Amino acid sequence: MSVLASPQLWASTLAMAVPLALPALGGTFSERTGVVNIAMEGIMLVGAFFAVTFAYYTGSAWLGLLIALVMGAIVAAIFAWAAIRLAADQVVLGMAVNIFAAGLTAFLLDTIFGYTGTPPNTPQLPSVDIPFLDHIPFIGAILSHQSILLYVMLVLVVLSHWFLFHTKLGLRMRAVGENPLAADTVGLNVWRLRYLGVIIGGVLSALGGAYLSIGILHSFDVGMTGGRGYIALAAMIFGKWTPFGAFGASLLFGFANALAIALQGHGVSPNLLQMLPYALTILALCGLVGRSTPPAADGIPYEPRR
Amino acid sequence: MKWKVWSTAAAAVLGMSALAAGCGAGTGAGAANNTTAAGGGHPDFKVALVTDTGGLNDHGFNYLSSVGLDRAKKDFGITTAVTESHAQSDYVPNLTRFAQQGYNLVIAVGFLMDSAVKQVAKQYPNTKFLIIDDDIEGQPNVTSALFKTEQCGYLVGALAGLMEQQKGIQGLNDKNVLGVVGGMQIPPVDSYIAGFVQGVKKTDPNATVEIKYAGSFNDQAQGQQVAQQEIADGADIIFQVAGGTGLGVINACKNAGVYAIGVDADQNYVAPQTVITSALKGVDTATYDVIKQALNNQFKSGAQYFDLANNGVGIAPTNSVVPKSIVDQVNQLADQIKSGQIQVSATLSK
Repeated sequence: MSVLASPQLWASTLAMAVPLALPALGGTFSERTGVVNIAMEGIMLVGAFFAVTFAYYTGSAWLGLLIALVMGAIVAAIFAWAAIRLAADQVVLGMAVNIFAAGLTAFLLDTIFGYTGTPPNTPQLPSVDIPFLDHIPFIGAILSHQSILLYVMLVLVVLSHWFLFHTKLGLRMRAVGENPLAADTVGLNVWRLRYLGVIIGGVLSALGGAYLSIGILHSFDVGMTGGRGYIALAAMIFGKWTPFGAFGASLLFGFANALAIALQGHGVSPNLLQMLPYALTILALCGLVGRSTPPAADGIPYEPRR
Repeated sequence: MKWKVWSTAAAAVLGMSALAAGCGAGTGAGAANNTTAAGGGHPDFKVALVTDTGGLNDHGFNYLSSVGLDRAKKDFGITTAVTESHAQSDYVPNLTRFAQQGYNLVIAVGFLMDSAVKQVAKQYPNTKFLIIDDDIEGQPNVTSALFKTEQCGYLVGALAGLMEQQKGIQGLNDKNVLGVVGGMQIPPVDSYIAGFVQGVKKTDPNATVEIKYAGSFNDQAQGQQVAQQEIADGADIIFQVAGGTGLGVINACKNAGVYAIGVDADQNYVAPQTVITSALKGVDTATYDVIKQALNNQFKSGAQYFDLANNGVGIAPTNSVVPKSIVDQVNQLADQIKSGQIQVSATLSK
């Protein structure tokens, strides 16, 4: 119980939920419009790498972040073009992006920075301390020194929910993911809406990658996302393709991770504890939370009738 | 619709396995880049380096081994080649290729290449092999470089213990807790940690040493979280034995205003105020020495131990935070280890 009362456990839960929630949110946007997106891992890596590179060369972490988002959008746009215009298999495409991104970032890291890795004086995004919250005993300790991107993520979760479920554009995006033929019939541009969904997904995934590289750290390492893009995929499904669901699932995975760290050294094998988040993933995918129904047209390319 | 959930889930699992396979995917397509030093030397003496799946940017032994190779190339004018292995199944073909091409010495980095070296060395008895971190005996053309990292772990542990005892060092609390973040629970990591624990026990018997593992060698974010947990538990000096993951540990220490101890190489450059010293593993020295032996026809098969006495392991220069008196005491302990007065065990007692 003393473990649960430690503010560090909850601080770590929040910190580790961010790089899951952002790509999970991104995946939600993409799949809501009907494009299966398993490329979050790759786009995160691309975002993480370009964030560090441009933060270092421009001297501004914010500019690095901006470029990371642009690169995320570009990779997602290429993915979207192949998935939507060329009607290629979306799962295969997603894997291609992931493998490509792993190779590209490793190659660029060695070429640009050499084998010693990114320079230690790379700037980092600020962490924030909210003045009045800091003085509340427990909450203050949890929220102190968290990256600014944590708060950005919280705002984005709410915004995404509002956008997808309470705006006209959100309704249209969901419509092309459920029944593109009907949406096309009433005059919606299915392809354009799908492009929008995938590109928003790419930007959010890149933001998740940038959180890892310049949000809580200021360096990049080969494969530093460590499979978080795939856990995010599970969080998206677990969260039933809704922003709040994805956020909640990410919190749970973040908690499992934090708990695995906190429990080490208390007599349980660390190897066993490290399985915790992954065991949870399997449970989640096995339908622990009941039936998880994807958008009806998820993964099916659409040929418009002209 | 249910099949879609399952196909996505299957894709996720597929993705994870691809990730596991690809996590060592370093650069290029395994192309060897042959280079010869300009003028003089021994351009006919050819040395090849084959990394394990960690690749050259592992912040660890692969990288250090290539540093030693580069230095040998500069000093002796030999011809060198480097190939990164992307999967365990690459080991045998990579080693075989260089043996076939008539390389004099082929360096295999890491205990993971044990069976590959045994197999290829038998087929090519005229090629000499060096394997790092693994013990191969009874094969006349194979030499093994083994490091007594428990000795340098002991020294940084003793130093950390003395720091805890010292009053008035900025950033240190009075909880007397030390942290260790390991990459994975495997022998090359645990030998460092075993030494560290014994060193702490020597100089600060009442200290608590909190040992946690990040479960990865390239997940900096995870390393940072593990370190933050230890800092929250009161740790004010953290020894990282976690490769790339350790950079996140150092970052967490820097942010929290506590101290870190680096591993393998002198990592003071990462955060000069934070990294008070590093436990050094001289993979570069070992590589250089064996190349020199082979070049001078002094190649000896079997295990070669690199320890404090022959500068195979060591402790990096301390930063300004560490008082001179502590450095002197640690140097005395180093002498006692060299003379055999202190024996350090490589296994971590539970």
